[in-house]
Amino acid sequence: MKVGTFPGGLNLGSIASDTSTFHEVPSSGTVIIPLKQYSGKACEPAVKKKDEVKVGSIIGESTGNDDASVHATVSGVVTNIFKKYPDMKGGTVPAIEIESDSKNELDVTVFEGTDIELIQKAGVVDLDIDAVPLHSKIALAKEKSVNTLIVNGVDVESQFSSRAVLLSEYAGEIAAGIDIISKLLGVTSVHIGVIEKASSAISSISSACSTAQVVGLKDKHPQSLRELLVKAILGKEIPQGGIPEDIGVTVISAETALFVARAVNDKKPVIERFITVAGGGLSKSKNVLVRIGTPIKEVLDYCGVSVGGAGKVIIGGPMMGTAIHSTDMPITKETTGIFVQNENEIAEFPSGVCIKCGLCIDICPMKLMPFLISGLSEAGKYAMAEKNDIHGCNECGCCSYVCPVLIPMVHWIKFGKSEIRAQRSSE
Amino acid sequence: MKTPELVVSTIPHVHGGNSVQKMMINFMIALLPAAGMSVYFFGPGAIVVIAISVVSAVAWEFIIQKVMGRPLAISNLTGAASGLVFAMMLPPTAPWWMICIGTFIIILLGKEVYGGLGNNPFNGVLIAWLVLQMSFRGEMAGWIYVAGEFLTESTPLEILKFEGLESIPEYFTIADLFIGRTTGFIGEVSAIALLIGGVFLIVRRVISWHIPVSFMIGVVFLSGIFWLMNPEECADPIFHLLAGGVFLAAFFVATDMPSSPTTPIGMLTYGFLCGLVTMVIRQWGAWDDGAFYSVFLISMLTPLLDKIKPKAYGR
Repeated sequence: MKVGTFPGGLNLGSIASDTSTFHEVPSSGTVIIPLKQYSGKACEPAVKKKDEVKVGSIIGESTGNDDASVHATVSGVVTNIFKKYPDMKGGTVPAIEIESDSKNELDVTVFEGTDIELIQKAGVVDLDIDAVPLHSKIALAKEKSVNTLIVNGVDVESQFSSRAVLLSEYAGEIAAGIDIISKLLGVTSVHIGVIEKASSAISSISSACSTAQVVGLKDKHPQSLRELLVKAILGKEIPQGGIPEDIGVTVISAETALFVARAVNDKKPVIERFITVAGGGLSKSKNVLVRIGTPIKEVLDYCGVSVGGAGKVIIGGPMMGTAIHSTDMPITKETTGIFVQNENEIAEFPSGVCIKCGLCIDICPMKLMPFLISGLSEAGKYAMAEKNDIHGCNECGCCSYVCPVLIPMVHWIKFGKSEIRAQRSSE
Repeated sequence: MKTPELVVSTIPHVHGGNSVQKMMINFMIALLPAAGMSVYFFGPGAIVVIAISVVSAVAWEFIIQKVMGRPLAISNLTGAASGLVFAMMLPPTAPWWMICIGTFIIILLGKEVYGGLGNNPFNGVLIAWLVLQMSFRGEMAGWIYVAGEFLTESTPLEILKFEGLESIPEYFTIADLFIGRTTGFIGEVSAIALLIGGVFLIVRRVISWHIPVSFMIGVVFLSGIFWLMNPEECADPIFHLLAGGVFLAAFFVATDMPSSPTTPIGMLTYGFLCGLVTMVIRQWGAWDDGAFYSVFLISMLTPLLDKIKPKAYGR
């Protein structure tokens, strides 16, 4: 088999050692379900305080193309509707608090409609770093007459293994989901990108999905990003500032295919998430199946992770994840994994003077000059930063990781981007 | 349940552990084979020069940073590494006062006046070397006999320049040049030792391959043209590669980080131009060897060469 890859990037060691099956985290007493768990706008709450809900009841209904339905994940009573609940990506979102009666009764209302309506009703979003509602993604792909589908079987970061395990254990359902999506899109070729070391994932998905071409990829950070999947699998590049659809490609994650199959064939909504919990003194990372809305601390408790004083809890991996302020935050559809650091493991970036060693240029998968762009942003020279392709940066973290003088380059680049955005919006 | 206090900060949340100090340790380790060869051929005088150079560089760095009221940065070992590579570019008989003047210039004029490491437009070691070369011509040519049957006090390139191509086989063979049984600066004589050190540096990714390789291609290219045009008077490319300071300059001097370009195409151009200028000086210049001087000249082009950006993804 041909192994695809891209120039630059980092080898952060092998994929997590735990390839065991998913452990289900027991359902909790209270869940908090944000009404926006994707890129887009929040849904309107479809329930009132003190309403009774069951597992799968719609609590926020999708009305358009930039939202996705939200469902209750436990049965019980709505105890609170927060107008402003902290959003993991910044800002606030409305959220619904449900107290569980621990019966976990299923909602018997059956979804009906065409495949695409079912996907919308089931609240399927592309379960990847930016969680775009799938029905709008499909609509966009049709509009741009996409002819290639790439299924992302690469774990978001090297420390995680949930996607590889999912591919080997749920290959049948994923294959069914891929068939549904490729029919909806009318694509001619389907590629599934999997890390070459995940041999059981490759063998199960290859035998389950005969129509798709499984491509082995080198275990390198940040292979999971769509820009580099397209580069590694098709050898094409997405125009800067563009999306894969611009060159006729749609990228969806393997989990998405699984939930599409469940939505269309079993009429089941998305109420849970397959994730890896790693770090935090765990000798082995753990793969868990969590209900959406479960507070992160319950997941950590279940996994036996203790967060010491002044530790760090990261949603996503250590390279690209977001550090959260509180473990009361719930698991959402955007939670790609959990990485925990103890106090002594936290990396600091005190920022020395750049010695122009060129390591960041060497490592940058987007072929940028990170030290230059970050220095320009730091100096407030945003026009120059834009000329040097600041918008080409996909914030993978490689440059800061290798920097010998510990410059927080990604921080400055993100800062520069936000300043440019602010300038644009004020104009 | 009490929420633990959590740290919130920007990505990435991990670091690879690389540091200037680690890079400099690797850099100095890479120079050890060449230093060892020099001690073997030139005797204890070489050790004395190396020791004075390293110790005085660190001492000057300490003094100057104290006087200038800067945070002390001796622990990143750039001073020690500069002192070591500077010793490699001195003759084995260099007097102590001259070495101390040189290391003073490295630290003050090469680094601290510009605001410390990273801000210097030139390689301080080269500035110091050029000052000494122009001020103390005699002391900088204090060659000594090398143990062996070849009795000459001249370097291979001096013989080429002043006695002609046909005299070289009387004193040196290509194997001598490769192993280092010639006269010359302490660290430049042994091509094999420098090659081992240079490959080590590339493997440990302290330097990238672009500059050394293109430097040598530049030397071979121009010397090859001269040799093909006039094989009676011009030495062959192998001789030019091994004699003089090409290996030392290509692996350890031209790759000085702040004063060399950072992009692949920039580095290749820089190295190639260094090689060409080296050969121009050797062929037409007054000096017998232009390896170090060419690096100094071409490093003036670095800001320009850094404009050659790599082609960004999706552009």
